[in-house]
Amino acid sequence: MTKANKTLNGHKLALINNRFEGIVRAMTNTLLRTARSTILNTGRDFSCCILTHDHKMLAMAESLPIHVMSGPDLMAQCMAEFFPTLTKGDAFLHNSPYHGNSHAADWTMLVPVVDDSGTHRFTVMAKAHLADCGNAVPTTYSAGAGDVFEEGALIFPCVKVQENYQNREDVLRMAKVRIRVPDVWYGDFLALLGAARIGERKLLELIDELDTDELNAYPEEWFNYSENLMVAAIRKLPHGKVTVSAWHDPIPEVLPDGMEIKAHVAVDSEQATISVDMTDNPDCQPCGLNLTEATSRTAAMIGIFTSLGSVVPPNAGSFRRLTVALRENCVVGKPVHPHSCSVATTNLAELVANSVARSIAELGDGFGMAATGKASPAATAVISGNDPRPNGGPFVNQLMLGFTGGAAGPNVDGWMTIIGIGAAGFLMRDSVEILEMKYPLYIKSQHVIPDSEGAGRYCGAPGCKVEFGPLAGDLTAVWLSEGTTYPPLGVQGGHDGSKAQQYICYADGSKSEPLGTYERVSIYPGDHIVSISTGGAGYGRPEQRNPARVQRDVAHGFVSEQRARDCYKVVLDKAGNIDQQATENFRAG
Amino acid sequence: MSAKRITFAADTGGTFTDLVVQETGERPRFYKRSTTPSDPVVGLLNAVKAVSDDVNEPVASLLARSDLFVFGTTRATNAVVTGSTAKTALLVSQGHTDTLLFREGGGRRSLFDYSQEYPQPFIPRGLTYEVRERISATGDVIVALDEAKLVALLQQLREQDIEAIAVALLWSPINDSHEQRVGELIRQHLPGMPFTLSSQLNPSLREYRRTSSAAIDAALKPLMSQFFRNLDTGLKNEGFTGRLLIMTSSGGVLDAAAVAETPIHSIGSGPAGAPVAARYFAELDNMGKTAIVTDAGGTTYDVSLLSNGQIPKTRETMVGKDGAYITGFPSVDARSVGAGGGSIAWVDSGGMLHIGPMSAGADPGPACYGRGGDKPTVTDACLVLGYIDPDYFMGGTMQVNIDLARQAIMHDVAEPLGLDLYDAADAIVELATEHMAMAIESITLNQGIDPENSFTIAGGGGAGLYCGRVARRLNSWPVLIPEASAAMSATGAMLSDLQASFMVTDLVRTERFDYDKVGAIMADLKARCQEFISDSGVEQSAATIDFYVEARYPQQVWEISVALDVDTFSSEADVAKMEQLFHQQHEQLFAIRDDDSPIEVVSWGVNVRCSLRGDEQMPSPSAPGNRSGSQSRAVYYFGKGQLDTQVLQAQDLETGKTYPGPLLVESPVTTLVIDTASSIQRSASGSIIVTPSQ
Repeated sequence: MTKANKTLNGHKLALINNRFEGIVRAMTNTLLRTARSTILNTGRDFSCCILTHDHKMLAMAESLPIHVMSGPDLMAQCMAEFFPTLTKGDAFLHNSPYHGNSHAADWTMLVPVVDDSGTHRFTVMAKAHLADCGNAVPTTYSAGAGDVFEEGALIFPCVKVQENYQNREDVLRMAKVRIRVPDVWYGDFLALLGAARIGERKLLELIDELDTDELNAYPEEWFNYSENLMVAAIRKLPHGKVTVSAWHDPIPEVLPDGMEIKAHVAVDSEQATISVDMTDNPDCQPCGLNLTEATSRTAAMIGIFTSLGSVVPPNAGSFRRLTVALRENCVVGKPVHPHSCSVATTNLAELVANSVARSIAELGDGFGMAATGKASPAATAVISGNDPRPNGGPFVNQLMLGFTGGAAGPNVDGWMTIIGIGAAGFLMRDSVEILEMKYPLYIKSQHVIPDSEGAGRYCGAPGCKVEFGPLAGDLTAVWLSEGTTYPPLGVQGGHDGSKAQQYICYADGSKSEPLGTYERVSIYPGDHIVSISTGGAGYGRPEQRNPARVQRDVAHGFVSEQRARDCYKVVLDKAGNIDQQATENFRAG
Repeated sequence: MSAKRITFAADTGGTFTDLVVQETGERPRFYKRSTTPSDPVVGLLNAVKAVSDDVNEPVASLLARSDLFVFGTTRATNAVVTGSTAKTALLVSQGHTDTLLFREGGGRRSLFDYSQEYPQPFIPRGLTYEVRERISATGDVIVALDEAKLVALLQQLREQDIEAIAVALLWSPINDSHEQRVGELIRQHLPGMPFTLSSQLNPSLREYRRTSSAAIDAALKPLMSQFFRNLDTGLKNEGFTGRLLIMTSSGGVLDAAAVAETPIHSIGSGPAGAPVAARYFAELDNMGKTAIVTDAGGTTYDVSLLSNGQIPKTRETMVGKDGAYITGFPSVDARSVGAGGGSIAWVDSGGMLHIGPMSAGADPGPACYGRGGDKPTVTDACLVLGYIDPDYFMGGTMQVNIDLARQAIMHDVAEPLGLDLYDAADAIVELATEHMAMAIESITLNQGIDPENSFTIAGGGGAGLYCGRVARRLNSWPVLIPEASAAMSATGAMLSDLQASFMVTDLVRTERFDYDKVGAIMADLKARCQEFISDSGVEQSAATIDFYVEARYPQQVWEISVALDVDTFSSEADVAKMEQLFHQQHEQLFAIRDDDSPIEVVSWGVNVRCSLRGDEQMPSPSAPGNRSGSQSRAVYYFGKGQLDTQVLQAQDLETGKTYPGPLLVESPVTTLVIDTASSIQRSASGSIIVTPSQ
């Protein structure tokens, strides 16, 4: 455990921490309220954070974990290497998967916070998942891309886009000719810039206001405090080593046999360290599923933080207790140019995070978590087309419709709207009315699917069925619905969640064949895409579930009486009350 | 009292019922009595009895002389928090049963706290029913309303002992014909059944928020109708024949009968009064137009604002346990943090100090109460620091034990942090202050106000203990503490105007501005204001009408509100001026502007206010009697140690004279702590003004 001389006492630490978190929230508020695409202004698919002058993660507030736990550190380092002199008024655009970014669609604005004396004090970062990043196919998740050239994304390996607070218009013009729907893109770009500049403005105020010694001492003391909490948390975990694995769905011509991902996890509860070894995995593949260095490490870290059982602030201090072994040219590791990492934030990243969380559950009942519902059902497709309505025109956007799937923990049911373990429930859902207003869409229905939850002592959240299609004009949709073949996995006797499905319901009432994990479809008014997302997996044996919870699930229509009886061994009478005696006998026998 | 007319204004809080009473032309007075939760009318009448005893006039005579009784209550809020609302059915568009279940996503406390249970929807899934119908974004009927199926459903609801119905169909703000028809069928088949149509109650887009509005409103109807009837009857039985008005969440008042029709407007009815009172106190002393308004209570610290003389609103009002449900309604933007006197201080395993969220409440209460609570609270810290006189706690009505406070702080805070007793107590107050400052920062951030360009108006029983520290932290000086600071909400109710807002949602872009359409909208809004004014019973001259637009850049989905200084658009210059105001405000809030872009106006709104007081100026309400005489006691100041500090009585302060700190100013309801770097003056209106010395 780190012991250092303390400049700040416990309450000063809390005061200054509140200020930093508050600044990140102000950045977040700016991005949400000013962005133009619904994936940002409603879905909230973006993150903001503050790094120290030496590129350590200091504050991330409610950012999406997959965007920020590792990556911002690498990107800020890259900024300092490429631009040894950082000047007030600079802003850098960075989305390169080979230089620390998550994936090419996550455009990142880095602004060095330089004080009046010219000293670089902090770096603020705003990262947003754009509706389009110039890919060859109109999706920001190009699983079929053989390499970065086929992927087609514009790559900015930390490029200066503002100098002295003025745009570098030459660079912006490059983007305007390579991005679909440039007006909307420019609005989203401004939102990113606004978020970073608000962060800079407020940090400069803080630098003016706070005692210099205290502000300088703060990062290291905050890191030490966080590390101490991490040590206490790890000491409560069971000591041991375990290897877990999980399969990604096969995708014809892209990943025909599917792929197994392995994680070797070691918890040393005496030394209070956790190590995750991801090197025992295949080499980079000729497709878009390869993870980046940032998301490989981050995904493993998410699995650990999810499993700690106590709340530890995620920052460079608590990270000291974790090691994640990565190797070059590995699907979960450090990718080598020109391998494509188009899908690096979702599919394999979710598998890695879920596997690591499951590994902790394997070490002992009462710890870790089951697997969360799988990434990117058709209800989160990237859609594009031409809106024939007045004020219409071309559009491209990612949907954020019904996607549930929270995994069961050792003492709690899955969170209904988790939308992936990497987003941790901090992505928001589309409003039907806002979506139908902005795009020529018709959202026919969104429902919880009964009996789709991963059953357990604690249950995963049920899956979600969504029907949607174009109201006018044709619609192209591209999705990457993992879990169509392999479901989310339960732990400690908990059941797996249900699998994903997707198909098209045509205007004449007929249905298409079941569609695959990765599809690009075009449909016409009257047709509907039907998206069925996976259920979250269960924790512990279902017949240990509190009968009162089963009764409630039946009353809410989440679970049928039949399943209550067959799976949970709970007998309900005609009025829906628990038949205590029959249930006890049933469970005993 | 003579035969002059009387106005009463009351606020029924969780602990106290505050009553302000004024005879025409006289200085108002305020009274405090315990709230009687089982029947709040009893507590209210007890407070009227206190007036009666004070002025030697029978209750019946006082009430008979009263034209106006204004009432604020946390009743609706409490009903939602405790889940004691009616058994309500929700009718939604086919395919969208789970709108309330899914919410808008989000809602988790922190990134990796996986111990939180997912919140249950306000109306359970089992009581949510689909109506076969669908309307599109343009208002066209895609699926016709299936009336036969609906009638069968209504019969089924009758058998289920449903007590109220909420109706929230997609796109009803654009085309309300289906909701209207559902309403007719409810009236026909379930006569007497209370119901709410979302398009009537809250015609704004975003189905989750509108559905939540309708659900909460319908569920409150049976209870609140009964409550207002009891209140009306209770007052009438005692001789009241005047007009009963209810404080609403938007900081105005409406007739009790109107609020019984839309009871969701009474959520937050109490706290909404504080900024109304604050605005009035600020004007009395000519203090400025932008201020932070704080109300420091026993369990919470509430913050609201004045922004350029206006009271800012929010659309995101959360209500219920842990703020689980959105009202979907504009209301006075007020934040509440659990940093009251009862909040518990503790140190975690990493050695960091925390305040709350646990509160010692009234039972067992702070350690110093000696009722078995051994956890140190903010009140204990104030006692140890010398801020509070142990012999004059709550005006001398309660005994406290300072040794118990010392022990609790030593054990739970001082020893784990390695501090001495006084520095530990100071740290507790400092961190509580920080939570208060955070709440202020959150609300000012949301409303685009810089605390440094604001002053502070401090109310509530704890006002004087923290206001100086909070103002120093945010640099929002000076601090104004009105004499009636302990009855801010009731004072606000006394001053509130009859108030209504009308809004038309109709999208207009500035680059093809439709002057005829906008002209018609503005004329319609103006006509609705005129109707409200003539119904209000006040003179035309006592009414004000303020237009605004809710606007955004194209493709944005969140609007910012821009006040208009015109009531019609006649030229390109008028439109260009609105565009400029928008660009400026956008840059001020978000650091960016898009000068080449047109502006999209989404809604055209108007606020109409009818002043019930006309031009009559109300003097600041006076507090009940004080103890007298000057004394001194030891108070601890961080970095300076314990200093012998003079204690003055509020009533003894001379107007206009400067009193430098360190100083304590006492009244029976609060103690004002002035540190070594501040001084105070008493204003002409009787308020105390705190300024930094340098």
